[in-house]
Amino acid sequence: MWYGFAGKLLRVNLTSGEFKVEELDKNELRKYMGCTGYAARLLYQEMPGGIDPLAPEAKVVLATGAVTGTLCPSGGSYEVCYKSPLTGTWNQARSGGAFGPKLKYAGFDFVVIEGKAEEPVYLYIHDGEVEIKPAKHLWGLNVEETTDALIRELDDPEISVATIGQAGENGVLYAALINDRGRAAGRGGIGAVFGSKNLKAVVVNGRGGVKVARPKEFAEAVEKAEQWLKNYPFASIPSLGTVGLVSLNNSLGILPTKNFQTAYFEQADQVSGETLNRKYQIKRRACYGCSFACGRYTSVSNGKFATPPMEGPEYETVDMLGPICGVADLEAIIRGNYLCNIYGLDTISTGMSIAFAMECYEKGLLTDSDTEGMPLRWGDGEVVVKLVEKIAHREGIGALLAQGVKRMAEQFGPAAEEAAIHVKGLELPAHEPRSESKVLAVQYAVSPRGACHMHPNWASTWDFGQLDCGMKEFGLPWPPAGIQDESSQKGVVYRYVALQGEISEILGACIFYSWGTEGSCITPQLYAEIVSALTGWDVTAAELMTAAERSWNLKRCFNAREGFTRKDDKLPRRFVQAIPNGPSTGARVENLDAMLDAYYEAMGWDRQTGLPVPEKLRELGLEFVVN
Amino acid sequence: MSKVLVVDPSLCTGCHRCEMWCSLTKYGEVNPSRSNVYVIRREPSVDVPVVCMQCGLCIDVCPTGALKRDGTTDAVVVDENICTGCGTCVKVCLYGVLRIDEETDLAAKCDLCSGSPACASHCPHGALRYEDAGKAAARRREIWAMAHAVRIR
Ligand code: SF4
Ligand code: SF4
Ligand code: SF4
Repeated sequence: MWYGFAGKLLRVNLTSGEFKVEELDKNELRKYMGCTGYAARLLYQEMPGGIDPLAPEAKVVLATGAVTGTLCPSGGSYEVCYKSPLTGTWNQARSGGAFGPKLKYAGFDFVVIEGKAEEPVYLYIHDGEVEIKPAKHLWGLNVEETTDALIRELDDPEISVATIGQAGENGVLYAALINDRGRAAGRGGIGAVFGSKNLKAVVVNGRGGVKVARPKEFAEAVEKAEQWLKNYPFASIPSLGTVGLVSLNNSLGILPTKNFQTAYFEQADQVSGETLNRKYQIKRRACYGCSFACGRYTSVSNGKFATPPMEGPEYETVDMLGPICGVADLEAIIRGNYLCNIYGLDTISTGMSIAFAMECYEKGLLTDSDTEGMPLRWGDGEVVVKLVEKIAHREGIGALLAQGVKRMAEQFGPAAEEAAIHVKGLELPAHEPRSESKVLAVQYAVSPRGACHMHPNWASTWDFGQLDCGMKEFGLPWPPAGIQDESSQKGVVYRYVALQGEISEILGACIFYSWGTEGSCITPQLYAEIVSALTGWDVTAAELMTAAERSWNLKRCFNAREGFTRKDDKLPRRFVQAIPNGPSTGARVENLDAMLDAYYEAMGWDRQTGLPVPEKLRELGLEFVVN
Repeated sequence: MSKVLVVDPSLCTGCHRCEMWCSLTKYGEVNPSRSNVYVIRREPSVDVPVVCMQCGLCIDVCPTGALKRDGTTDAVVVDENICTGCGTCVKVCLYGVLRIDEETDLAAKCDLCSGSPACASHCPHGALRYEDAGKAAARRREIWAMAHAVRIR
């Protein structure tokens, strides 16, 4: 009997059109806890290094965790794990909505997808049954059309559809997988991987639910979480959505603007959460099972950017299609977001690719002859919207932009390097690593998927609030005992940030709710209580920490096998230069090397290479990685 | 006056936590398809919780007399010792909030949790409340009227 988990893994081979259901091994699953931790083990063991992410041999894991689809207040997530065609690194893209919970209710914790179908197909997974169905009639349709067509075809309005749009079919290197019409597993190009496999969509539904080992204890633990979360330090976010950050970050001088040339946007109030709420918001929306409800529906009723009701925009998108491109027109941003949703594009990489092109245009590296006469000037919302269309269809200049910033910069030569804002090929998200955010700088440098604000996502919270998030118990020292130098202190702190964040990754939890202190967030201790009552495993916070460390090390090893070492843990050159204006004038990233030294040391990794050493791997029970 | 469940869809975020709490309370598992409150979440932007009105129509049609009104809460409850799972009640319920439970094969419906509804006490947004009948009636009038007002605007 399984509690908390469905206990099954579905393995689908698209080349042969066969699938098989595998029983999970309880001990092995518990070792990694589940979700991205277990997916890391699967991909490390089953996918040799050096495989082309777009080749049939590449594998994709759809992963849920212990808390997915339960009453745990942050349990609406699933993650897609794969090797990114954009970066060549490990990638995990999280999404909310209903997909994760419904996959689990359908009877599977994981789906491993291998091979390549001869013709377009979609997967239909419902109540333990699996069908690989033809999707030729869906190829070429956008996300909305596909979703609606599948609801009609399967005659079930309760299904959850995760699908690619034209961007994924066309192999845009940062194409997203979109579930429930407006929720994106956005970063790293999973859409292109689906496209390369001729896989249009995965559809899930189930009536299985999740069995609970100790229901009374579970209800008490969840009630405790509900009480604690009344004091959640970021409780104000849902009222304005994550877009509320626009005003805050701008007032601090850390709102990335014009491709990170500056960090202050004069017209920020025109694209703020307040303006969005007042003029365009329809209602608030939660992921399945989530009590936070940070999402929202918006629409633009008329004009050239008229947009039907859609989920979004989030803070990242507003900055990326807005200030990052110098755009102050919220209607253009909403329209651009809608197009990214229906074509299936990561709004962050899309916005950054456009901003990169705008800076190159400003510098004369791109001219009207490259753009079919369309001037790529900062602040032109109409151009941004047009470029989104062109990128999704890889048409004209869109084909260039569809490759992402790193590849474009390589083509343009050294003159463009200054404008290439990415780490390991992943475009930076809308959080400034200069200013106070020094721990965030370490995160960008070392995160497994490149410049990542999500996995794990605690660095900025630490930078601003020094919240302990329940890590005091594990010895979170501030300032770290015996270390005088501030850079080293920050490096040491990042160890705690990373491991605490990794706990939510391996549980399948959303990152919201895991920042705060005891009594105001879901600490590792409280997660342990919830997961114990749910699974009956008597998991301790220390066990979660060890599993998190195992997962974090394994992802590092995955990248090492692809050739990534300390030399790749670097930031774009722009960040060692000072922010030129606004409230954070003069701030820059100093001493990244010293921070890295301290971080590797704290992790027990080799300083020279930045890689886990054999003793560390053995200590974590990862013998199979030692070669 | 007794209390009733009242729904304000404009506050609902579609989180389905009420369904999860209902199934946890009734069956010790988290399973929205075994819930006595139904959240209709559709795209774009529809989130409507649907609950039993405790109107009693089903009582009248039950051939075995398994449905009864509870003296303290006024809820219509299923007597599982008498119910045969024939489904006559499911056919007659105007709101579609009765179901034959897939595991027990018996009728299942909201019994107001004997006066302390798990769904309402855990709704994070006050979209589902357990209120004094008079107050609930006033709220229903308000919601009804405002739904039309929005359309006029
Ligand atoms: S718990 Fe409340 S907000 Fe969530 S779905 Fe139910 S009624 Fe709506
Ligand atoms: S189940 Fe339907 S018919 Fe019976 S009391 Fe409730 S609303 Fe009325
Ligand atoms: S009152 Fe109780 S039985 Fe009725 S819907 Fe709510 S939780 Fe379920």
